[in-house]
Amino acid sequence: MRVIKEILNNTFIVEHRDSSFLATKSRYPPFYGEKKIGDYREWKAYRSKLAAVILNGYTPSIKKDAVMLYLGVASGTTASHLSDILDSGIIYAVEYSATPFKKFLELAEERENIIPLLEDASKPENYSGIVEPVDFIYQDISQKNQIEIFSTNADLFLRDGGEGIIMVKARSIDSTSEPSEVFNFVLSELEKFFDILKHGGLEPFHKDHIFVHVRK
Amino acid sequence: MSEINNCYNTWFGEVCLEDGLKVFRSKNLKESFQSCKNWKLPFSVKDAGMIAFGSESEYYRNLRRTALQVAEERVRKELQSDERYLISLLKALDEIDLGINLFSEKIRDIEETRESSLTEKFNQIVSDLKTFRKDLENEINSHAERIIPNVSSIAGGVIAARLLEKAGSLKKLASMPASTIQIIGAEKSLFKAISRMKKGKKAKTPKHGIIFQHPYIRGLPKKKRGKMARFMAAKLAIAARIDFYGGELNEELVEIVRKKYGELQER
Ligand SMILES: C[S@@+](CC[C@H](N)C(=O)[O-])C[C@H]1O[C@@H](n2cnc3c(N)ncnc32)[C@H](O)[C@@H]1O
Repeated sequence: MRVIKEILNNTFIVEHRDSSFLATKSRYPPFYGEKKIGDYREWKAYRSKLAAVILNGYTPSIKKDAVMLYLGVASGTTASHLSDILDSGIIYAVEYSATPFKKFLELAEERENIIPLLEDASKPENYSGIVEPVDFIYQDISQKNQIEIFSTNADLFLRDGGEGIIMVKARSIDSTSEPSEVFNFVLSELEKFFDILKHGGLEPFHKDHIFVHVRK
Repeated sequence: MSEINNCYNTWFGEVCLEDGLKVFRSKNLKESFQSCKNWKLPFSVKDAGMIAFGSESEYYRNLRRTALQVAEERVRKELQSDERYLISLLKALDEIDLGINLFSEKIRDIEETRESSLTEKFNQIVSDLKTFRKDLENEINSHAERIIPNVSSIAGGVIAARLLEKAGSLKKLASMPASTIQIIGAEKSLFKAISRMKKGKKAKTPKHGIIFQHPYIRGLPKKKRGKMARFMAAKLAIAARIDFYGGELNEELVEIVRKKYGELQER
């Protein structure tokens, strides 16, 4: 096994037996059925949209000591890698469905940089007495009003100059319009409040999705 | 919310703004953690918390411990109420079926004796009940898909809910061996068989319980049903465990069951 390229803190492209893959360096065991070779946990792009963004050639800079608010953490697939990356940071992880969150709690028990919150991201007032000002908001909630939810959370918690990544699934916002129309609408909404640093698709890993990277 | 006098609720207690931050640490962190609604705080909770806890590491240690305790309690409660909701939907479905049968019988009775405009009304009631039954079944399916995705992908929402009901809880279902899952719902005939045997009489032990209603078992010739039931029960036992531990849907599991059915059908 050999490291080909460093992408972010603890994040590498590694080569093993003639195939190369994205991985995070981790002292923890596999969490969602990914393989682990040596210290490197494979980061699967079909399972994690952030891995898809990176494999498609764009790497948002995420600092290892960043304070992050994660909206829609589900069972923690992506969060497990973010926890490797932010090894001296903190992740406030919000999810409102108890079913995936139960599995996520196994991760939260094990990782010291995770604060689990079983809360509704559309009611940030319920956790405003808990979450400190953050450097980064990662949102993956597939909701019709997810842009509004992102903006309110950014208003409450994101420091000036802080950044965010929003994953948008066209069908969740509007199931009848063309994905490209939906994406244009989303971008124009975000532009009202944020600088758009980059956006792009997640094909072939996730169909009819885009990511948008913004700054406040 | 107690912002009137410039005080705010945080997870570790009350913070007041009077030339600087004044912190009143709560005696019960779990309680204050769950009652700290505010709009925007004019200070950083962490800055205030460092005053209460003395250091960053103490701040995060307490925050994490409290968050984990609260999250675990909430998850437990919510999952229990999810299961109860599914079971109560299933009971409603059974009662509606009883109702539909009862009314249909009455309609037949009346029709057999004489022509009556009343049967119109009865028919209307039955058709409304059938519509409602459909809605209820949809709700059962979508709820089961959410809380027991793997069991319901194999068994279908209604049978999955019935397994849950008979087992008592997902926790219990997940701890059952396949051989028990195979006969859930057949307990009555099992007990009958046992008591017959005790009396020295001949008795057949039941082979299939609730899962016998599954189209993949009913759709097979009698002599192959036992085999299919055993196979399905084994996969359901795995599925229940995945669901209990909060795993996502594993498509392979359904696929294997479907394949087995195909094989048995052909042979
Ligand atoms: C696509 S999944 C997230 C997958 C996850 N980010 C990952 O990559 O591992 C979307 C999640 O958002 C959650 N969600 C949707 N609306 C939400 C809300 N208003 N508040 C909190 N969570 C929400 C859903 O329950 C679901 O678990």
